[in-house]
Amino acid sequence: MGGKTGRRFAYGRRTFEARDGESLLDAIARARVPILGRSLRYHRPRGPVCGVGQCAGCLVRVNDRPNVRACRHRVGDGDRVEGQNAWPSPRFDVGGAIDLVFPGGIDTLHGFRRPAWAKGLYQRVVRHLAGYGPLPGAAASAAWTGPPDERSVEVVVVGAGASGRAAAERLVALGRRPLVLDRGLGPLAIPGADVLPATTVTFLPPPTTGADRPFSLIAYTEPARGVRVSAGSVIAATGAYDGGLLFGDGDRPGILSADLAVTLSDAGRPSPFHEAIVVGGGERARAVVERLDGAVGSVIAPGEISPELTRAASDRGIPLYPRSLLLRALGRARVRGLSARSRGNGTPFYLSGDAIVLAHRRLPNAQLFFQAGARMHWRAGGAAYYPVVDPSGGTSVPGLFAVGDAAGILAPFAAESGVRAAEAIVASPAAREPLARVEEGGRAELEGYYRELLAQPRPGRWIACPCEDVLLGEVEEASRAGYRGIEVVKRYSNLGTGTCQGRYCLPEALLILSLLEGRPPNEVGYITQRPPVVPTPIAALAALDARAGEAAP
Amino acid sequence: MTPLGRSSYRVAVVGAGIVGLYTAYHLARAGAGPILVVDRGFLSSGASGRNGGGVRQQWETRATVRLAREAVEAYRRFGRDFGYNIWFRQGGYLFLAETDAELGRLRTVHDLVRSEGLPSEVLDPDAIGRLVPGIAPRAVRGGTYLHTDGTLHPFPAVWGVYEAVRALGVEVALGVEARGVERAAGRLAGLVTSAGTVAVPSVVNAAGGWSGDFSRSAELEVPNVATRHEILATEALKPFLDPMIVRPSDGLYFSQTMRGEIVGGLTVPHPTGTSAGVPSSPRFLASMSRALVRLFPQLGALRVLRAWSGYYDDTPDGLPIVGEDPRLPGFVHANGFGGHGFMLAPASSRRVALAVLGERSDLDPTLFSPARFLGPRSAPAVERLQLG
Repeated sequence: MGGKTGRRFAYGRRTFEARDGESLLDAIARARVPILGRSLRYHRPRGPVCGVGQCAGCLVRVNDRPNVRACRHRVGDGDRVEGQNAWPSPRFDVGGAIDLVFPGGIDTLHGFRRPAWAKGLYQRVVRHLAGYGPLPGAAASAAWTGPPDERSVEVVVVGAGASGRAAAERLVALGRRPLVLDRGLGPLAIPGADVLPATTVTFLPPPTTGADRPFSLIAYTEPARGVRVSAGSVIAATGAYDGGLLFGDGDRPGILSADLAVTLSDAGRPSPFHEAIVVGGGERARAVVERLDGAVGSVIAPGEISPELTRAASDRGIPLYPRSLLLRALGRARVRGLSARSRGNGTPFYLSGDAIVLAHRRLPNAQLFFQAGARMHWRAGGAAYYPVVDPSGGTSVPGLFAVGDAAGILAPFAAESGVRAAEAIVASPAAREPLARVEEGGRAELEGYYRELLAQPRPGRWIACPCEDVLLGEVEEASRAGYRGIEVVKRYSNLGTGTCQGRYCLPEALLILSLLEGRPPNEVGYITQRPPVVPTPIAALAALDARAGEAAP
Repeated sequence: MTPLGRSSYRVAVVGAGIVGLYTAYHLARAGAGPILVVDRGFLSSGASGRNGGGVRQQWETRATVRLAREAVEAYRRFGRDFGYNIWFRQGGYLFLAETDAELGRLRTVHDLVRSEGLPSEVLDPDAIGRLVPGIAPRAVRGGTYLHTDGTLHPFPAVWGVYEAVRALGVEVALGVEARGVERAAGRLAGLVTSAGTVAVPSVVNAAGGWSGDFSRSAELEVPNVATRHEILATEALKPFLDPMIVRPSDGLYFSQTMRGEIVGGLTVPHPTGTSAGVPSSPRFLASMSRALVRLFPQLGALRVLRAWSGYYDDTPDGLPIVGEDPRLPGFVHANGFGGHGFMLAPASSRRVALAVLGERSDLDPTLFSPARFLGPRSAPAVERLQLG
């Protein structure tokens, strides 16, 4: 098991123990705390979804600091952890009644206007229901202020997954000394390279033309140290994440990404689930079935199931449900099963299970490419935007390279793409064949899926945007009222404006709006990818101001 | 491209932001005849969808105080009139001074605002600390406060007026760009758009940040300058801040929305003009964050969630341009609001509608008419304070 125990932290009224260097999420998950907090509008139970710092499911208050992602926080001895937006506790929350009292949703766009004399009262009530917890005390902020970490390097590599690591190692082999930034909390060592672990890049502006080091990226190291890196070239190996899927009560605790499911069931600790329903029919789902060996109860896929996955499941006696519509997650505090139906108006059926693992598609972390002004294109095979790249990974922005999952490079070629980018930076490369990428042509398989799904009766609460509790019905209403395009629907419904900045709602919303508006998803538009990529502490950004060192007035 | 519904209109409004839509609304209510509104982008793609939602009545000139007071009344009635809840919350506006000189300027505004019957107050640092616990007392010298100022949610205001004008028969063509005008017999005769040319005797330029571009496309030299301003929003917390806070010395402003986010901006220099688009800058994020932390140290633990930018449509004297252009009869300005279109639109647009219909309004032409920038002695010699 490794690591000495002895880091104790308080969660609610209980005390837990964490291993050295462990993330808060891992420690809490081992203790089987399913509900970490409540959602903003309907006070629905929230639990971790992604485990990789993308979703808003694991937000907690730590030592008076609000909105800390449990997966990004290394447990410190004596930490005081509280669930958010819940009273008296995330498990038994009085506000949860809102979810039951307003089955049709709360219409803040048209409602609460009459009678005129009650408007002040409505405002006070609604205002107090919004938001995650009180303003932190002065101590919580003061502990954060410190000088920024300023670097100037020839090459910076963002992400130390397979492709980023390969790029860094190749650069070292070619006699360079790259700087590698990675979000992970674990130890990070690449011999010959400088590393900054627990560091998230939040802003990569377009390069300054003509400068020696044209790129200037902004990052921060957990919990709140500002980082600025000037660089001659950037290799972005920002990876991909497991996308969401829209179904009834699809925001229940226990609905996890494949990433998180694998982390939680890693060797050496008891798995928090034993009968997972794995969603997906391809390579990602197959890998999950093999990794979660013994903890998978069934496999269900929106489309076909690959022969490799069929073999892996059959070997383990796991039943398969290809071409199925996922209708509703069962269970309140946590998942107990799934109601579904075969596509083409087939028979409804129920699956029991204590977790639903989303492994049906990977989406690229492409925000930095958008920010830097790189040319992007819609790849229907992945139903997402990817940077346009040459065979070495070069984007349309000179000096910015996209490698690995973030560029849609298929799994076995991730490391090779990193090596190519490293070589292209050091010397002009020879002509090469492009690496295999996510398909460009065809139609997104999920479009047909959602067309069929939207024609079904829809039991349960359909949350289109889990951060802001925006309902699918509100998206449809915007469309019915004549508001077209994702940018307008976002402003109409608040979809995509929350903590995850659209990672879990935008891809699905594009497909849904494409059906409602009768045009391809890439014509529905895209929400401009603005800084910061992830919520960034004001204290960390303030330290990057040129005058930060000056005394206060 | 959707073709336009008619080949001729009584009035064409360029810009479907809050100013253009309210103008169309007042025109339609006055029975002006067929009205067309064109906008190059989507609804709320310009400043009407990018502002901080502040509505104040503390202004440097009597005429704008009065317009703003009328606008506040309109926003209080908005839910009844337009069916959308804009969550107009009158939490007040608190202007902060760091020096005695700044405080003196705020007092001048205060005296003017009070003389208009509005309950403005001058606050000392202690009173400011009681109103907004958390403000570093050393950071302020004093301030002025008007508790009937407030903030609203801009989007539903746009949806509400948009749906109202459509119900009144106004044609709103989105994604249609106005490219110039046609003249006949020394006056305006038509509007050239990306969807074709229409015959129309009156065109209202309510194009916000692009209004300078549009006036120039009509060969009218105007002093409007598009200035990019940036805003950020934090994650949401429970209510802890009632008023909008403004510090004129560096253009810092912020408030807490109904959703619980801190939304605010700060003036940082950017190249002018609309060619650069609306990107965000690292400099703004850092400067704004530092300004927030120095004034209100507890905000350091909050996280920035989003940032965006948009255009102010600035004029040399900081006042809007409202009225018919004497050089081209039929060409009516409703622009130059300098980031304050939302604060004045319900009131100023009524006067614009009157100008289009050739009727007299109570607007002081020496203050607002485009004529003030023509001729050798431009801009009236009134000392103005920029409140931000």
